[in-house]
Amino acid sequence: MTPGKWLGVLFLMPATLFVVVFFLSPVLLTAVFAFTSMSTATGVGEGGYLITPSTLHRLAERGMDRSTAESLGATTYLVNPETLSRARAAGVAAATLDELGQRHAGKSFDGRRGFERALKSLNNRPRSVRALKQAARHFETSVLNRTFGQREDLLAALAASGVRLSDEDRERLVDASYTGWTWTTDNLRRMFGTADTAQVLANTLIYVFVTLILFNTGFALVLAITTFYLPTTEAAVFRGIWFLPRITPPVLYVLLWKWFAWDTGFLSTVLGWFGVASRNWMLDTAFNAWVFVVLINGFVGASMGMIIFSSAIRAIPEPLFWASEVDGASRWQQVRRIILPQLRWPILFVTSYQTLSLLTSFEYILLATDGGPGSTTEVWSLAAYHTALNNYAGNLQYGYGAALALVLVIIGVVLSLLYLRIFNFDALVARPRIET
Amino acid sequence: MRILIENFTKRFGADTVIDAMNLEVADGEMLALLGPSGCGKSTTLFAVCGLHVVDDGRILFGDEDVTGWSPQRRNVGVVFQSYALYPHMNVFDNVAFPLQVKREPGPAIRRRVSEITAMLEIEHLLERLPAHLSGGQQQRVALARALIRRPGVLLLDEPLANLDARLRLDMRSEIRRLQRETGITAILVTHDQVEAMSMCDRIAIMDRGHVHQIASPADMYRNPVSTFVAGFLGNPPIAFLSGRVRGGRFWLDGSTAGIDLPGGCEALEDGREIRLGVRPEHVRPADSGPLSGKVSFVETHGRENLYDVTLNGGQVLRSIQPVRGDIAPGQTVHCRLDTDKLLVFDREGTRL
Amino acid sequence: MPRARGSGIIVALLAAASAPLVLMYVFLVIETVGEAPPGQLLPDGFTLENWRFLWEDLPGKANIWAVTLNTFIFASATTVIVLAVSSTAGYALSRINLPFRAYFLAGVLVLHAFPTVTLIIAIFLVLQMIGLYNTLTGVILVKASLELPLGIWIMKGFYDTVPWEIEMAGVQDGASRFTVWRRLILPQVTPGILALGVFSFLAGWSEFILPQVLAPDNKVQVLSVYLAGLIADDYDLNFALFKSIGLFYVIPVVILYLFFQDKLMNIYGGGTKG
Repeated sequence: MTPGKWLGVLFLMPATLFVVVFFLSPVLLTAVFAFTSMSTATGVGEGGYLITPSTLHRLAERGMDRSTAESLGATTYLVNPETLSRARAAGVAAATLDELGQRHAGKSFDGRRGFERALKSLNNRPRSVRALKQAARHFETSVLNRTFGQREDLLAALAASGVRLSDEDRERLVDASYTGWTWTTDNLRRMFGTADTAQVLANTLIYVFVTLILFNTGFALVLAITTFYLPTTEAAVFRGIWFLPRITPPVLYVLLWKWFAWDTGFLSTVLGWFGVASRNWMLDTAFNAWVFVVLINGFVGASMGMIIFSSAIRAIPEPLFWASEVDGASRWQQVRRIILPQLRWPILFVTSYQTLSLLTSFEYILLATDGGPGSTTEVWSLAAYHTALNNYAGNLQYGYGAALALVLVIIGVVLSLLYLRIFNFDALVARPRIET
Repeated sequence: MRILIENFTKRFGADTVIDAMNLEVADGEMLALLGPSGCGKSTTLFAVCGLHVVDDGRILFGDEDVTGWSPQRRNVGVVFQSYALYPHMNVFDNVAFPLQVKREPGPAIRRRVSEITAMLEIEHLLERLPAHLSGGQQQRVALARALIRRPGVLLLDEPLANLDARLRLDMRSEIRRLQRETGITAILVTHDQVEAMSMCDRIAIMDRGHVHQIASPADMYRNPVSTFVAGFLGNPPIAFLSGRVRGGRFWLDGSTAGIDLPGGCEALEDGREIRLGVRPEHVRPADSGPLSGKVSFVETHGRENLYDVTLNGGQVLRSIQPVRGDIAPGQTVHCRLDTDKLLVFDREGTRL
Repeated sequence: MPRARGSGIIVALLAAASAPLVLMYVFLVIETVGEAPPGQLLPDGFTLENWRFLWEDLPGKANIWAVTLNTFIFASATTVIVLAVSSTAGYALSRINLPFRAYFLAGVLVLHAFPTVTLIIAIFLVLQMIGLYNTLTGVILVKASLELPLGIWIMKGFYDTVPWEIEMAGVQDGASRFTVWRRLILPQVTPGILALGVFSFLAGWSEFILPQVLAPDNKVQVLSVYLAGLIADDYDLNFALFKSIGLFYVIPVVILYLFFQDKLMNIYGGGTKG
């Protein structure tokens, strides 16, 4: 390794680090999370073990012996070195504890009363009723509503509780009480198995292809060709107008559309002059919602195609146009015979690129209709977002959302690998001319 | 400082572009690496700089093996074809840069810069940016920058290619003057034989990664080892005639003309195919002679005229003559050759 | 090549298609300072009422200046990281003879086309796990990382246009590769750094999804999240107020755009943002 190469390694290090941690690992982790049951309830860290009354109820329904379930739910009082030292630490009189230890070591009392009676019968019994009750509390042992960090802790507590459990019941109890996430393939089964998915898929296809054909490619072409034939100033004005949405922050851009369509906004006001009742044009019907979803995305999307097509048209040698004008070709013929054939590759590029980006972007729909009315404009990427990150139910299903996102990630990986072939990659890896 | 290149081999991937090349440049000598583009002359230059890794063999400066040395450590001054002046720095900073990176004290740098710029007659341009200099001035700045560190070796990569014809003449003598004054060992890479011949002590002529011949310009011109070397040197270029040996003489293909061979070649066996190299200045028109043909083309050079004579049988001979009005295109002429100046090559192009 | 023939019709058609956009942007400005009674579009009075958010906190909302400062920190920190990392990595990929260089390039090329929003769920979980959720640091690191492939690609392109001879001359003059980069090559790519810097700043300033998901808290809120929250909360939409905030929000964008129009066109047109 020469110093030059060390510099290269050093220069690539930060980029590699950033990209691996926040870019590549999320790609892989999306796949990992897709096979988990992570949700708000399970949390994302390691879970604990918690037996609740409902855990026991569920297990009883699934065939666990009722009396076992009940005794697990009951509170017992244990006298052993552990509980004794706990009480000592809490300040219960040493004499009381010593005597209790001598008389009842290893004993277990089923109810509070029984244990309190045992306490009362001690020579060094607690002075007041209140002190007695407080002392008793330290000997309570219940496996219920206590969180155990490790499986072993729960097993130890179960053993200490004195409740007899068959091995099978113990296994079931431990598994049922786990609060963390687990590995599962349920997400995939659910994704391929529900009617919602089909609806979302249909929405996605409509959204992507209608926007793409009408605006991102179609209107972009119209803009590029028409502005090419306009005098420079007019052309610049129109290109400038259509570039505005791209540099406007999305939140503001969608706000402008909302103002345009809302019941107190522009459309309603103007139509009100003609006696049309004011309403929210964006959200009143599913059809209108779709119109606005396409318009909002299309008005942004047209600018990229416009820029690329415009520069491609400008690259056409001018003599071609002069020649065709001398030949008496109409302008329409010029467009068809000269411009469109030259734009074949740019059109292919813009179409494929924008397919991917429309497929995965949900920012504008989120801000405009949020998938509504109902879920008529809910597209795939937005569904993933709603499932995992933001919904009204409040239980965010990270695992299922990741499974939905995984589909998009796979499409993204495949399509972006295709770009490697479209770009002339070999030209990009020209040999460095300083070899050391 | 002497430069010694021993068994230098360079590969790009599976391609071996230079195979076991040997070359020695004596201390204080200026040597030209001459050859067509793609012959490996720039690759050799980059290996001497240290920019390219040597795949096999070694490079010595003096007695020191520098093969593994970084370019920075080699202390080699280089002038690139594009001059590679730093566009954002003025002339002073450009020239001072090599000393600045060595962290020499400011006053010393200023002294040295004014010394070297005076030598190159650019001391009045110190504040200018490269974009505001003429081609010749840029060239001088590049030379100043290459020489300011007092390098042991000066490498010039097609230094005159970007200059117009007049400036090229000036810079040719200028560079040679500098090299002589500083006594620096220099290698000039060029594809222009005139440059190589006029500026250098010796020429190494290269083709496809091989050095064909190393000799002084005059020697190489007179005694080329192959048709490649003979064809590369000389303007207007040498003409080759193919034919066979019979009775110690040369018989042109498709013609009945016999030509005497130069001394030392009479012993060639009969029937052997050979090629005869004839330089234009060794062909004279005559009233009678072994060769006759039609004047197919006349090119006026001012002081001289160049005539293309298509011989009977179709081969072409060139002749350069002081301007004369008596030969016109289409005319049939006889030619006489200076027998002892003729160059004889075998069918593969090796000198006999 | 301007051709006047029949351009009147084209202008009329384009004007009709552009009308919604023009109206929206014109009223964006008008409505912030105009007083118009309900049912009327054009204002008949002047008011600064809608700009009160500048000196009075809106109920239940963070202070606008704190939010603006967050946005500025977010956008500039992202820019600094993107510039620093891209200008070094881009140089290494363009110029230094490293093993696996071709794989790095292929990786950068694939990633720069990759739709990053699909990763948001995984990133959200990662930030929760490493404890950077709801911090500006976390969302800055994420935003910068996602912009990096594009940045590296652009910078590599700029480095590719610097003549090799300059680099070679620097090395021959005895400078280390670092000095060559720092003193000779970097000054040649300042236009690229400027363009990428402005682009990254605008991208950070406008970003909504990442801060919304990764740092929604009032303390670390940025303007996009602030404004979106305001709009989402309110049933009786006060468009004049929203637009005033929106206009306040977009001013830096407009200024930067006016200054760097041509350079930005190149990056946006490079097929990089949907």
